[in-house]
Amino acid sequence: MPGPDAKKPDPKRFEVSRNTLLFDRFMGWFIRFGGIAVIIAVIGIFFFIAKVAVPLFRSANVEQSGSVEAGVVPPVIGVDERGEMPFLYEGGSKLTFLNFVDQSTKELTVPGLKDAVITAYAFDTVRQRLTYGLEDGRVGSFLINYERKFNEDATGSWLEPAVIEEPVFTVEHGEGPVTAVSYGDASDPDDPSGARLIVVKRGEGQKASVSVIKLMMKKGLIGTAKLRMVGQTDLSSKLSGEAAMVRASSNGTMILVVSKNGDIDYFARDVLEVNKVQTFHPFEGEVPQQVDLLYGGVSIILTSRDGQQQQWSLFRESAESVRTFGMVKEFPPLPKGAVVFSNSLRNRSFIAGAGNYLSLRYSTSGDVRWEQQVDYKPVAGIIDGKSKHLIVAGDDGVIHRYQVNDPHPEASPKAFFGKVWYEGGMGAKYQWQSTGGSSDFEPKFSLMPLIFGSLKGTFYALLFSIPVALLAAVFSAAFLPLSVKRVIKPMMEIMASLPSVVLGFLAAFWLAPVLQYRVPSVMLMILMVPLSVLMIGYCWGRLPVVLRNRLDGGQEWMLVLPVMFLFGWLGWILGPVVEGWFFVYTDSSSGKQIADFTMWWPQATGMAFEQRNSLVVGFMMGFAVIPVIFTIAEDALSNVPKSLTAASAALGANRWQVVWTIMLPVASSGIFSALMIGFGRAVGETMILVMAAGGTPVMEGNIFNGMRTLAANIAIELPEAAVGSTHYRTLFLSAVVLFILTSVMNTLAEVLRQRLRERNKIV
Amino acid sequence: MSATTATMPRPDFIHVEDYNFWYGQNQVLFDIDMEIPECQVTALIGPSGCGKSTLLRNMNRMNDLIDGVSHKGDIRLNGTSLYDPDVEVISLRKRVGMVFQKYNPFAKSIYENVVFSLRVAGRGKRCELDETVERSLKDAALWDEVKDRLHDSAFGLSGGQQQRLCIARAIANQPEILLMDEPCAALDPLATLKIEELITTLKKQFTIVIVTHNMEQATRCSDRTAFLYMGKLVEYGDTLQLFGNPKQKDTEAYISGRFS
Ligand SMILES: Nc1ncnc2c1ncn2[C@@H]1O[C@H](COP(=O)(O)OP(=O)(O)OP(=O)(O)O)[C@@H](O)[C@H]1O
Ligand SMILES: [Mg+2]
Repeated sequence: MPGPDAKKPDPKRFEVSRNTLLFDRFMGWFIRFGGIAVIIAVIGIFFFIAKVAVPLFRSANVEQSGSVEAGVVPPVIGVDERGEMPFLYEGGSKLTFLNFVDQSTKELTVPGLKDAVITAYAFDTVRQRLTYGLEDGRVGSFLINYERKFNEDATGSWLEPAVIEEPVFTVEHGEGPVTAVSYGDASDPDDPSGARLIVVKRGEGQKASVSVIKLMMKKGLIGTAKLRMVGQTDLSSKLSGEAAMVRASSNGTMILVVSKNGDIDYFARDVLEVNKVQTFHPFEGEVPQQVDLLYGGVSIILTSRDGQQQQWSLFRESAESVRTFGMVKEFPPLPKGAVVFSNSLRNRSFIAGAGNYLSLRYSTSGDVRWEQQVDYKPVAGIIDGKSKHLIVAGDDGVIHRYQVNDPHPEASPKAFFGKVWYEGGMGAKYQWQSTGGSSDFEPKFSLMPLIFGSLKGTFYALLFSIPVALLAAVFSAAFLPLSVKRVIKPMMEIMASLPSVVLGFLAAFWLAPVLQYRVPSVMLMILMVPLSVLMIGYCWGRLPVVLRNRLDGGQEWMLVLPVMFLFGWLGWILGPVVEGWFFVYTDSSSGKQIADFTMWWPQATGMAFEQRNSLVVGFMMGFAVIPVIFTIAEDALSNVPKSLTAASAALGANRWQVVWTIMLPVASSGIFSALMIGFGRAVGETMILVMAAGGTPVMEGNIFNGMRTLAANIAIELPEAAVGSTHYRTLFLSAVVLFILTSVMNTLAEVLRQRLRERNKIV
Repeated sequence: MSATTATMPRPDFIHVEDYNFWYGQNQVLFDIDMEIPECQVTALIGPSGCGKSTLLRNMNRMNDLIDGVSHKGDIRLNGTSLYDPDVEVISLRKRVGMVFQKYNPFAKSIYENVVFSLRVAGRGKRCELDETVERSLKDAALWDEVKDRLHDSAFGLSGGQQQRLCIARAIANQPEILLMDEPCAALDPLATLKIEELITTLKKQFTIVIVTHNMEQATRCSDRTAFLYMGKLVEYGDTLQLFGNPKQKDTEAYISGRFS
């Protein structure tokens, strides 16, 4: 018992100091805040990317934006580029223009048609050309030209329509009135010399005939170019039956004659010749209700009376054959067939409809973008040049105008992830090709080749780097003496910090050209180096203990390294010899035997050989991935408690058994993390792939060709994509896919890792 | 080992000759010179940090696993030096089993812990393994407690049980020499007694070197005792004689508990 005067212990000695408490609480919140902030940031990035991609999946928005009472039911309707002033044509000399801006109407008369008896006509939206045929067997045409005029003080503007007449030609073949016409024109303002043609049907029934008038812009003696006829060809004898419809492609290279028995004859024009190429039968003997060429001129859309709708495209059955039509897809049926048809001049969408139905469709994906039942019967319709408006004439004498908002018709889940039969292709496939040379290019937005490319690149990178990195980590953690380890680890870390653009540069301009002619050497090295090490190991084990004890534990690498180099060098030297034995290619023309792997591979496997291939990518990505995996795996292995390794060694386990039975299981979750981080590095790696992977989005596992990965594709194409375009948003979608790909993999891996850790945890 | 030793136990079965040992620059053992007789129990006593574990760990070259160690002098096992160029360390460790000061079971089942030494030796016959497990666990006085959960994780055992498991593991392959570094430090008196009994039975076949801080234990089960102090062998002799009539002042001070 301490006396009253004894020094009392501090009564506060059991209390925790205020500072400690405060600091503790602060740190608790700080860490919590940090963690939550990271999660929010990641989710935020995800949502930002996803937000850009979401509009891709909206369907078309089509809304009525005005109507004008016309009082007539016109068979032909045309419109200016902006959908402001459609015109109606009923087969006379008169054109009626309806102004949707101020609701006024205006009439124009074609002077040359004053007293003519028009028996057939057709309108071509691409050139705004109306072609007509007369009772006396002549054909002619005129262009409708809209000119924008401005007020003097430039405060307002209006459209001034005009008619430009073109020459009239007499059809030489056949007799009777012209019963069908179609105009094809390859010329453009820059090159007016392009060929043109007019397909004409004359007469009906037994006496019906079809002929082609071939035209050319030719310079006359006086100087100005003039449209002249260069010949006429009678096609009648080559037809499958009496023609019901004639169609010339807008570029004038192709003629389709639909006969009344349902056959379609396809003729191709080659300068002065018109040759029959093919006859095909879309709806089993039934005459299609509607046959029209789609924008781009290699596809036709056909609709039968009962509403089946198909797309036929020109493609080659095999690499040698000529291009013929074949059915590439069927659209969802249109309940009442298609009386109305008009295709967009911007993309592959078209409008079709009949009997109350109107439908906006996109041919590439076969998607219905918009479909509606209207309270009138559409009889004619057209999409304006900018694909922003739809003008539809109804049987009620009213012209309806619709505002079309469909910025991304090319986008759909099927286009991104499904097989699509593109125009000119030999079948449905996954394809990525976002931009093309011409305006009528059909974009191909399948993400599958990119996903495949990402996985392929990762696969080859990991195939090479996982064994190397893990074996190196095991060797360093369990075998190497500390003094050597102290040098190796920082070296690996320097390797990890090499900028990947340097690696990519090396891969593309040094490794790829070197490896191209040394594939057999590389194969031999891959085989011989590990084998030589195994061989040394075997021999070493056979040596008497006295000799083996000469080398301290962990010093064996001094022995192994020279042998490895020796065999690596031998492999390199012997490669061409092996090439001469196994990889002999027979030149098909001369029959010569040449030892060349780059030629042998395509001949033997039918797969391509490219200089910038997966082997190169695998090696170089290995350089980026190996240090990552090595460092983390080495740490995990080194952190296995010494008491465990010592215990197993004391029980007579050799070093390899210590590694295998004790260190690997205990470190397995750490090693797994290392692999996952390596995987993440490989999937997201961009620069090496941009520079060394060739960049072709192919879907082949072939190790000797390249790939295009999601990440590389974004890096290459995003700077060129117009902001807000389908291409731009699709690139964001591919980023979302990449994001999901890695997070799904990481989540799976984390679950597995936790299991491993649970199973092998120490106390 | 050889047949001759079966008839006549060698008095210098383990011969430590002028042995010096360094961890890096730090000398821990100084001129240790002692002969450990065959088929007897030899106890190493001494204050903490005096080098008992170090000496013990050198008898199966466990210290080789530590970087930067060096030694001078020699340790002979049955006449041959541990450092002979034709000694294979792996087989040496199979002959010289060891129980560590800190229990260290593997992250495996009880069964797999016991048969580890057989597995790494490539002996995997089921019946032999089963037999070994039962014998070793019985010898280590653990059998009754774990016989129904042999395939459960070893970490489910109490500390004392884990230590006995480590003993069972060390004797599973029936080594010639058993080095035990404070095997009973974590055990209750009953288990300690069982281990001591085990030691007494085992010494008929094996040579045992045991480190202990427990004087009673040393008197109870050892035949000879060595007293180490600051890395030097202060006194070494018959257990009864050393405890009853120590020759050195330091020894007397230590065993009478005047310093620890
Ligand atoms: N791995 C090591 N590295 C460096 N020094 C060590 C190492 N192990 C032990 N030592 C040192 O060697 C000396 C002897 O250690 P040792 O473990 O042999 O003592 P001990 O007699 O077993 O003690 P205790 O009774 O406490 O177990 C101590 O001073 C210790 O600090
Ligand atoms: Mg100790």
